[in-house]
Amino acid sequence: MKTYPVEIAGVRRELPVVQVGEGVAVALLNLLGDPELTEAVAEEMARRLPEGAEVLVTPEVKAVPLAHALAVRTGLPYVVARKTVKPYMIRPVTREVISITTGKPQTLVLDGADVERIRRKNVVIVDDVVSTGSTLKGLRELIESVGGRVVGVLAVFTEGSPRNDVTALGHLPLFKPEQ
Amino acid sequence: MTTLETYPITVGNVTRHVPLVETLPGMRIPLVEFLGDPELVEEAAKLLLEKLPEETELLFSLECSSVPLVHRLAQLSDLPYVVARKRRRAYMDDPLIQEVPSLTLGASDTLWLDRRWAERIMNQKVTLVMDVVSSGGTMKALDRLAHRAGGQVVGRLTVFQQGKREFNGELVYLYEIPIL
Repeated sequence: MKTYPVEIAGVRRELPVVQVGEGVAVALLNLLGDPELTEAVAEEMARRLPEGAEVLVTPEVKAVPLAHALAVRTGLPYVVARKTVKPYMIRPVTREVISITTGKPQTLVLDGADVERIRRKNVVIVDDVVSTGSTLKGLRELIESVGGRVVGVLAVFTEGSPRNDVTALGHLPLFKPEQ
Repeated sequence: MTTLETYPITVGNVTRHVPLVETLPGMRIPLVEFLGDPELVEEAAKLLLEKLPEETELLFSLECSSVPLVHRLAQLSDLPYVVARKRRRAYMDDPLIQEVPSLTLGASDTLWLDRRWAERIMNQKVTLVMDVVSSGGTMKALDRLAHRAGGQVVGRLTVFQQGKREFNGELVYLYEIPIL
């Protein structure tokens, strides 16, 4: 299996290169199941936290351990944007985004209680990999629609084309699938 | 804002007044939430560590609300962990697919485990970790998935057992919460 070597926050990993669509393969980062890497990344991100940050927001689910670890280090609360509306949610707010990679619609949801934790607050978005940015765009719009101010975006990697609206610890190229 | 009725939930030295939600007409449950609550996670992980079977080699859980808990327990115990997903991802290669026999709070009814992750479970002594177990259907599915991946389940841990026990495997829990 083809792998891609990375060093993030002093931790080395061989990321598997996997096909995700017609003609596209990506180096797969998985923070789920990797506490060592998650904690090292959180330590590094805490140093890059934008001034005035009041709350962290992360999309479920791969970046959840990272948001937790960053919340522990910074003392800031964090909110998880879910991908489905749960029956127990009270006045949830949703936004549809179309994934540019898969072409499939994706829903981002904030529970009503979490909306109150974001409103009029300086929000930092935390994610593992920002690629096309469709999730990021949807999340940003969702946060702004409930009155939050996005003051920064922290990611482990940007992927594909570099972006200047994301503070990342590294960058991943896109790959051609192996024949 | 409407005022919600709340119910006190205590884990170690941490108490939270959580909303009571009506899941079915006439049936209300205290809604425990570990996501977004590092303090509650920390307390629960410490207490779960004391109950963790000594022979455990790997922790196995599922997305999403149990993720911070299993992350922290993995750190405290210095054990690896694997998380089953509730949706198929594009990168999954020959995944194991496990139906969940019962639905709890609208959770998805299928678990997905990428082959690469299943291989980590093979020949390992596995402890299953969940934040809340109610009917036990999800725990049972996780159990089955661990077996199918070639793991040996040596423990089943949860913070909260909710309502009547229907799960007929051995389950270790820290606290009971009622169905009102």
